[in-house]
Amino acid sequence: MDLLEVFRWMEVNLPGGVYLRESTFGFSILLTVHVVSLCWFMGLIVMMDLRLVGIANLRTPASAVSPKLLPWQMVGFAVMVISGLMLVWAQPLRYFGKTFFWWKMGLMLLAGMNAAIIHLITHRSEAAWDSKAAKVAGAASIVLWVAILALGRLVAYDWMTTEYFVE
Amino acid sequence: MLLPFFEWMEGLAVYGPSIYLGPAVNIVHLTAMTVFLGSLLIVDLRLLGAGLTQQPAATVARDAQPWLLGGLAMLTLTGIPAVMATATLQYNNSVFWVKMYLLFVALAYTFTVRRKVAFASEGRFGSGTMKVVGLLSIVMWLGVAALARLIMMIPANTFEFLVG
Repeated sequence: MDLLEVFRWMEVNLPGGVYLRESTFGFSILLTVHVVSLCWFMGLIVMMDLRLVGIANLRTPASAVSPKLLPWQMVGFAVMVISGLMLVWAQPLRYFGKTFFWWKMGLMLLAGMNAAIIHLITHRSEAAWDSKAAKVAGAASIVLWVAILALGRLVAYDWMTTEYFVE
Repeated sequence: MLLPFFEWMEGLAVYGPSIYLGPAVNIVHLTAMTVFLGSLLIVDLRLLGAGLTQQPAATVARDAQPWLLGGLAMLTLTGIPAVMATATLQYNNSVFWVKMYLLFVALAYTFTVRRKVAFASEGRFGSGTMKVVGLLSIVMWLGVAALARLIMMIPANTFEFLVG
């Protein structure tokens, strides 16, 4: 089945979509929740990554920073993902036509894989937390998340946008 | 009273004819916000008795401080041209003014009360005090971030009942 058809179907059939699209505050509040939870999530991710790289929070061992911040990162992540899905729920076809949106989805996949790599590198030993590989993966995480943030922000402009309509 | 000043700022056309400078500044501003909020949150969470609990709050705060100040510097450096580019729109927007008032309260709070409590030696303040101070900080700064996003998105007169 064609992905565009799926998004077209969502635009017409998802309950509440029209309300979110057309209300004065619905979409604005959703977008605000998304951005604020992103700052929360990414702020704590960056603090952890900077420790992995070895340039911040040096008074705490990297092996302690990561698991201690994880539950709080996940709180932000949950709110960010739920509000993000609701944004797409509200305007499926708008996002379908945004090239930056799809790049962002691709980079999020990479960021998830990178997080798995960090786990694989560090779970073996205490010393592995300060390894070269952990530093590189930490730096990659920062680069990926800043790029994801930038692409998310760029979705708001009409660059590289194709308009799709309900037929 | 400030309107001529805002008109003058807008007249400077800081971004010139570029259509890329505005979005670029916004992206750096948002990135700086994540650094600022991250370095704020690890300390506030510690004050709440969560997060990096194997260290005293003052140790976490000392580590976080350069990133907090660096983030704030970058926020200021990018926030000023962002306001200048659309100064009269901002001037006439009640959401902008509520954000600015809350921002100044949050800044004053962060560099007085919160600083004193976060950097205090262990046992100087009770855990109840530390929790209230951390929670207030989180609420205020998330409020600043939320209001910032709402400028130009919700109607300009939304908070006129607050700031006239």
